[in-house]
Amino acid sequence: MNLDSLKKKISDLESNAKTEFRSANNKLELDNIYRSYLGKKGELSLLLKSLGSLPQEKRKEAGKLLNNLKGDLENNYVLITSSINDKANQARLEKDKLDISLPGFRSRKGSIHPVTRTIRDVCDFFERMGFDVESGPEAEIDYYNFEALNVPEDHPAKDMHDTFYLNNKGLLRTHTSPVQIRTMEKSEAPHRIICPGKVYRKDSDLTHTPMFHQIEGLVVEEGASFAQLKGLLNDFLTDFFGEEVELRFRPSYFPFTEPSAEVDIRWKKNWLEVLGCGMVHPNVLKSVGVDTKKYSGFAFGLGVERMAMLKYDIPDLRAFFENDIRFLDQF
Amino acid sequence: MQFSKNWLKDFIDIDLSTETICSQLTMAGLEVDGYEDVTSKITGKDSIIKLDITPNRGDCFSVLGVARELSVINDLKLILPNISSIESSFKDEMKVKASPEGPSYFGRTIRDISVNSKTLPLIAERLKFSDQKLIDPVVDITNYILLELGQPLHAFDRDKLKGNITVRTAFNKEKIKLLDDQELVLDESCLVISDEESAVAFAGIMGGKESAVSASTNSIFLESAFFKPSIIRGKARRYGFQTDASLRFERGVDYRIQEIAIDRASILLRDTVGGRFSEITSSTLKNQLPKQTKINLDLEKSNNLLGTKISKQVALRYFKGLGFAPESLKKSSISTLPPSWRYDLSIDADLVEELARLEGYDSLPQLSLSPVYKKIELNSQSHLSDLLKAKGFNEIISYSFISRDDHDLFGEGVDTLEVENPISQNMSVMRTNLVSGLVNTFLHNLNHGQDSQRLFEIGNTFSSKNSKQVSEKNTLAGLMSGKVNDDHWKEKAKDISFYDLKGVVQDLLREFKGQCVFENCKIDFLHPGMSSLIKINNNIVGFMGSLQPSYLDRLGLSEDIYIFTIELDGLKKNISSPFKEFSKFPTSSRDLAFIIDKSIASTSIENVIKSSAGKFFRDIEIFDVYEGKGIEEDKKSIAISVSWQSMQQTLKDSDIDKSVQRIVNSVKKELGGELRV
Repeated sequence: MNLDSLKKKISDLESNAKTEFRSANNKLELDNIYRSYLGKKGELSLLLKSLGSLPQEKRKEAGKLLNNLKGDLENNYVLITSSINDKANQARLEKDKLDISLPGFRSRKGSIHPVTRTIRDVCDFFERMGFDVESGPEAEIDYYNFEALNVPEDHPAKDMHDTFYLNNKGLLRTHTSPVQIRTMEKSEAPHRIICPGKVYRKDSDLTHTPMFHQIEGLVVEEGASFAQLKGLLNDFLTDFFGEEVELRFRPSYFPFTEPSAEVDIRWKKNWLEVLGCGMVHPNVLKSVGVDTKKYSGFAFGLGVERMAMLKYDIPDLRAFFENDIRFLDQF
Repeated sequence: MQFSKNWLKDFIDIDLSTETICSQLTMAGLEVDGYEDVTSKITGKDSIIKLDITPNRGDCFSVLGVARELSVINDLKLILPNISSIESSFKDEMKVKASPEGPSYFGRTIRDISVNSKTLPLIAERLKFSDQKLIDPVVDITNYILLELGQPLHAFDRDKLKGNITVRTAFNKEKIKLLDDQELVLDESCLVISDEESAVAFAGIMGGKESAVSASTNSIFLESAFFKPSIIRGKARRYGFQTDASLRFERGVDYRIQEIAIDRASILLRDTVGGRFSEITSSTLKNQLPKQTKINLDLEKSNNLLGTKISKQVALRYFKGLGFAPESLKKSSISTLPPSWRYDLSIDADLVEELARLEGYDSLPQLSLSPVYKKIELNSQSHLSDLLKAKGFNEIISYSFISRDDHDLFGEGVDTLEVENPISQNMSVMRTNLVSGLVNTFLHNLNHGQDSQRLFEIGNTFSSKNSKQVSEKNTLAGLMSGKVNDDHWKEKAKDISFYDLKGVVQDLLREFKGQCVFENCKIDFLHPGMSSLIKINNNIVGFMGSLQPSYLDRLGLSEDIYIFTIELDGLKKNISSPFKEFSKFPTSSRDLAFIIDKSIASTSIENVIKSSAGKFFRDIEIFDVYEGKGIEEDKKSIAISVSWQSMQQTLKDSDIDKSVQRIVNSVKKELGGELRV
C-alpha cells in the first residue's frame, strides 16, 4: 500500500463514517456505528495496523493523517450525540405532560393540642428569661396544697377552691402552687421557676371544667420587687399576644401572697381577668426556710385554657376536653 | 354581697356616678361583679352594686365597711349613724354567759310586740335590693343590721326559752333542729347557744326551730354576739350549707360592734313592732377577745419594695381613714394597731398592701426583670409530641378521672386512687393508664365520621398500694385505627396493621438510650397473638397491640384498634454520640432464604445470623416472609439480606462464601432451618 491509496481510504472512511453517524436514529445505533469505525476492532484501527506496510519515511505523515481523522470523527460523534440527546429529551418533554393539579401523596396531618401549644409558648418566654421548668405530683397532700401556702385548716380561703379529696386522705391539687413549695424545699434560693400542669376543682359548668391547666411562676431573689413583677408580666403578655396589650393591676387576695394582685387585660372593650400574682407571703418563705431578710419573692399563676381561648379565639371551654378531631386539626 | 348605692349615703356624703364608684372599689380590691340601675320609690335614682368579696375582707360584708373604703379613697368623712340607747322599762331575770369561743354576748328581751306590723318601706326596699326575702318585721330588721353593720343578730321567741342562756360547745352527738327544718347531729367542735334544757341555736350559723319567732310570738329575745372565727370556720360547710351569718363570723366580725348593733336594732324594732324593752344583759370575757398587736412599718423599706415615694403624712392619713390608730415613730417608722374589724392585718407586708391599694396598683412603677443566662434543655416530651404530630397523630387531653366501668375494662387490674367526692360517677377513679381516654375519644370522633384516626396523649397515670403509697407516672400513649393514609387517586390506602403500630413505637424509642426488646404479653384487653410488651434494658416500659375482638364487639366496632403506651419517667434521652469513621470499601451482601418452623421468631434467626456471620458482619435485613403454597403447613420461608464490610479492604468472595456457610450451618443446628434453594 502506498500513501496515496491510504489517503483515498482515509477520505472514504471519513465520508462513510460521517454519513452513517448522521443516519443514526438513537444513541444505541450511534454507539454501534461508532464502535465499527473507532472501536478496538474498528476500521480506523485496521488502517492503523496497516501502517506497517508503508515505507519507513511515509509512516510519520500517514500516522498524522490517521490521528487527525480520529480527532475529527470523535468531534463529529460528540456533536451528533448531543443532537440525538436533544431530540430524545425534546420528545420526552413533549410526551411527559402531567396534570400537576392532581393531589400529591401526602401524609396525614397531625396536631398539638392548643393547651400544650399555649404551655409551650408561655414556658418559652420564661425559659428565655432564665426560669427552670418544674413539675410536681397532681395527687397532692393538704400540706403542700394549702398549709405550706399559708392556708390553715378550715380557712374560708379554701372555699375559693372546691377540692376533690382522694381515698388516701390526699387530694387533687387545686393549683400549681404546691410546686413552689416542693422546689423551694429541695433547692436553695435564688429561684426562677415556671411550673405548668393539670389542676382540679370540683366545678363543672359552661365556664368551668373539673380539670384544667395552670402555669405558676416564682421568683425568689435579692431585691425582687413589685415593680419587677409588674414589668415581667407586662413583657410576658406582650410576648404572648404578639402585640402591646392594655393591662391593669388591682388588689386581690391569695393567702400565699401579700400584697396580692389580679391582672386584667383589655379585651374587646371589657376588662378580663387573666392572671393572679403577688409578693410571696413571708409565712410561705419562712415555711421553706428562705431567709426573708436577704430574699424577697413574687409569684404569679395563670389559667392556660383562658389564655388559649383568647389567643385562638375559642368560644367554648369544653372543646378542650372533647377532643373532636375537627377542633384539634386546627392546631 | 349586693346593696343599694344610696344606702352608702347614710355613711358618706358621696356624689359620684355608679360607674366611678364601681371602678374605685374594684381598683381598691373589692371586685365589683356588676351593677344595675334601678329606681327607688323612696330615694329616687339608685343602683344595685354587686361585690365579689375576697375571704380576707370580712369587714366589707357590710354597707358600713364599703362606705369606709370609699371614704378613704375619696378623702371623705365617715358619718356613723346616730345611735342612742333606748330606754328600758324592765329587767329580765334571764342571765347570759359567754364562753371562750363566744366571748362576747349581748341580749335583751322585748315584750308585747306586734308581729303583724309591716316592715318600714325603706328597709323593705333595701332588703329587696340586697336580694333578701322579706319574712317578718323582726327577722327583716335583723337582716337589715347584718347588711348595714355586718353584725349578725338573732331573735328567739322569748317564751320558748327556759332559764338562763349559755354559750357552750355542743355535746357529742347532740341533736338540733334548725330553722330550715334540717336536723343536725353535732359534736364537741361545734358551738351552740343553749338554754337550761337544750341547744336553741347553732351559734353564729342558724337558730333552732323550737325557739323560732312565729306569727304567734309575743315577746322576743334579741341576741348580738361575737363568736371567734376559728369556731365557726368550716362548720356550716361540714353540713353542706352556709348562711349570711356563718359567712361573716368565719371571716371575722368586729368584736366591738355588738352593743351598737343591738341599740341600732332596738330603735328600728321600737319604730316597727313597738313593745317594751328590757335592760341589755351581757357577758364578755375580755381576755378571750381577739388580741390585736401593734405592727411596725418601715415606710422607706415599703417604698423600696413598691418603688413608690409615699410620704409619712399620706401614709398616716390612709391608716387613720381605715380606722387604724397609727403613731409616727422615729425616721420612717410607723407603728399602728389594726382596727377591731380587720382580721387580715398582722405583719408589715399587710400594711404594705394597704398602702399599695390606696395608692392604686396601676400607679405603681414597673421595671423589666433582667434575663439570667440558663442552658435550655431540650424537652423530650415536646420532641416526642412533634414526632407524633409529623406522623399524623392528633394530641388529645382527657380527664384524669374515669368511670369505674372504664377502669374495670382497661385498668389492667391495678389498684388506684378514688375520688371521694366526684363530680359524677363517670369521673370517680384515677386512671391507671391512658387507654380509656383514647378509646372514648376515638369513639366520639368515629361517631362524627372520622374513620381513620391517630391519637396520642401525654399525661400522668396513678396507682396506689393499700391506698397509701401513691405512684404517679408520666405516660405517653397512642391509638391508631383505619387506613395508613387517605385513599389516593393513584392507589388505594392500606389498612393499618400491627407493624404500622410497631414502626411508630420503634421510631419513638429510637429517641431513648438502651436495648429495646419486644415480648409477647397477656393483657386482658389486647389480642394475645397481636400484642407485645415493650422492654428497655430488661425493664417493662409499656405495651402495644390490637384490641381484643371481644372488646371490639362490646364497643360495637368492626375495625381493629391499635394501642401503645410507654412510661416516660426513667427513660434516658439518646444524646448524640461522637462521629464514627465509616468504611471506604464496598459492602458485600448475600440474600438467604430459610425454611423454618412458623413458631420461631424472626429475632431468633437474626440473633443466630449475627453471632455466626463473622467479624466483618455489618447489617441484616428481612425482606420477605412467606407462608402458604409450596411451603409445608407448619413452616415459613424467611428471606434475609446479610451484608459485610471491612474498614481496611475489599472483601473477597471466598471469604463471604465461608461466612455464608457458617450461617447456614448455625441456622440448621440451632433452629432447624434449611436454606431454601
